[in-house]
Amino acid sequence: MRLSTDLVTGLLFVSLGLFAIVYGWNYPLGTPARIGPGYYPMLVSSGLVLLGLILVARSLFAPGDRIEGISLRPLLFVLTGTILFGLLVEKAGFVISAILVVVLARLADRDFRPLEVGLLALGLVSFVAALFWLGLSLPLRPFPQW
Amino acid sequence: MDVLSNLALGFSVALEPINLVYAFLGVLLGTAIGVLPGLGPVATISILLPVTFTLQPQSAIIMLAGIYYGAAYGGSTTAILVNLPGESSSVVTTLDGYQMARKGKAGLALATAALSSFMAGTIATFIIAFAAPALAEFALDFGPADYFSLMVFGLVAAVILAHGSVIKAIGMILVGILLGTMGIDVNSSLPRYTFGVPQFGDGIDFAVIAMGIFGIGETITNLGRGAEAREYVKDYKGLWPKPHDLKEIVRPALRGTFLGAALGILPGGGPVLASFSAYALEKRISDEPEKFGKGAIEGVAAPEAANNSASQTAFIPLLTLGLPASPVMALMVGALMMHGLYAGPQLIAEKPELFWGLVASMWIGNLLLVVLNLPLVGFWAKLLTVPYRLLYPSILLICCIGVYSIRNDALDVIVASVFGLVGYVLTRLQCEPAPLLLGFILGPLIEENLRRALLISHGSPAVFVERPISLVFLILTAIVVLILLLPAIRAGREKVFAEDAG
Repeated sequence: MRLSTDLVTGLLFVSLGLFAIVYGWNYPLGTPARIGPGYYPMLVSSGLVLLGLILVARSLFAPGDRIEGISLRPLLFVLTGTILFGLLVEKAGFVISAILVVVLARLADRDFRPLEVGLLALGLVSFVAALFWLGLSLPLRPFPQW
Repeated sequence: MDVLSNLALGFSVALEPINLVYAFLGVLLGTAIGVLPGLGPVATISILLPVTFTLQPQSAIIMLAGIYYGAAYGGSTTAILVNLPGESSSVVTTLDGYQMARKGKAGLALATAALSSFMAGTIATFIIAFAAPALAEFALDFGPADYFSLMVFGLVAAVILAHGSVIKAIGMILVGILLGTMGIDVNSSLPRYTFGVPQFGDGIDFAVIAMGIFGIGETITNLGRGAEAREYVKDYKGLWPKPHDLKEIVRPALRGTFLGAALGILPGGGPVLASFSAYALEKRISDEPEKFGKGAIEGVAAPEAANNSASQTAFIPLLTLGLPASPVMALMVGALMMHGLYAGPQLIAEKPELFWGLVASMWIGNLLLVVLNLPLVGFWAKLLTVPYRLLYPSILLICCIGVYSIRNDALDVIVASVFGLVGYVLTRLQCEPAPLLLGFILGPLIEENLRRALLISHGSPAVFVERPISLVFLILTAIVVLILLLPAIRAGREKVFAEDAG
């Protein structure tokens, strides 16, 4: 059975709202005249919980559209690439990290052509180096520091 | 005469060679990225934001305005050539624009779009110059309670024209507001939702969220769709409109301009409402309504003019009230904030050169758009044929470098990746992520005004109905909510979108 988008969205809203309420439980609410830092998040999260409950309730009566399939391959490869970039850019430099992003991104697609990907990576790294490193002189490190 | 001297000041700023160069670069880059299928103005502006970080505020804003117009026009180009609207406001352009292109009149359709946009832009620039200072003066009377109600109205109104479920859209706004509360509270210095991470003390940068959702998330969504065959239009002959074409363009474009200018000032999807209404108006008053949808030139001229003049007058609530009327405008507020500028009634008084420079560069941006695009139409059309498999790695890499360069913090790239996941999940759940951005930008402002209003009223919530301006906005909000809840009208709204999207 596939779940309806309304049901999952509703559950997501409820859990996010509840999480915000619980995590922010100790933030002082203040008085009406001097609202504390907890007042507004509490207001907003309660609203979110309420909307989530409405969605859940509605999905029980009118299921609505079902969730279409999740494409795991692009999801995993693309995110691995960008996360690795974040982890490596300062240590290994932008050249290696950028090549990783491009190669992993292309692996997300089944149609992988090694020569083309190599040329693309080379072109993009030169472009990044020219625009961001030389052109805008952002403090990027090109190569690993030994 | 005051207006004229102000405009003169603006043009002296905008015509400085360096600013002219940035405006040109902005239009060029904005069109180049915006013309790529699947990249609408929000994505285009998010991707190009980092390029403006290192500039002076004035040049940065001028360049951003250029990017904005370039991206908007790029969206119309894809709407006409490949039936792929870059954003909701160019949906209408696909109706007759794509039909014109299929009949071999792509050049004429593109030229019509460019010329009617330019005409609309010219008139709208003067409307802004005359109307904005008056509105800003009016806005100075606004108290915190009035701002609170205005922003609540703006958020709710923005929901009307979002696609899909209203409850989900409001939920997305609330999620955005919650995200906006992250960081150290300015009044109590209490860290809220920072999870012990020192970098979260300043909250999450909105560009990180925007690039994560619209750059990384959309890429994953597109890859999931697989390669779909697109029908490309190959014939771009006959670019310049003949005199009798021009005659057919002028009147619809003028009607579209004024309708768009009026609707653009309203918070909440100004350009979308404008292009839809202008199209409906032309169809209603036409002698041959049956030719609409089959390549009627009025069906391109009017909505394109309306769209452009509305997106220009949308700067009025942005610059005078600090109220973004659309996600794109929310991005502009965010960009202003990055340069330490807070949009609002004080902006005109305190930074006249910036305000009027922006107004003048809007017109220059429009001019550059025509100058650049009419000769380059063939080239942009070729760019459309860049295979997606070469395009998306470039988008991802630029997003990574861009996010990292915001404050040279590698953690931001990882946070952006998380928002990429969030963006993908949201599309799967049929939740539009754009309202989240609106909520994120407006959330902290709403909290601050709520706090101040209650402080002044000693905690009495009656202040929101006692002040006339605030009361008006709350009544308007109630009317909007009522409209949303009336099933008949809601069904009608869904029908409008279903018809035009199909």
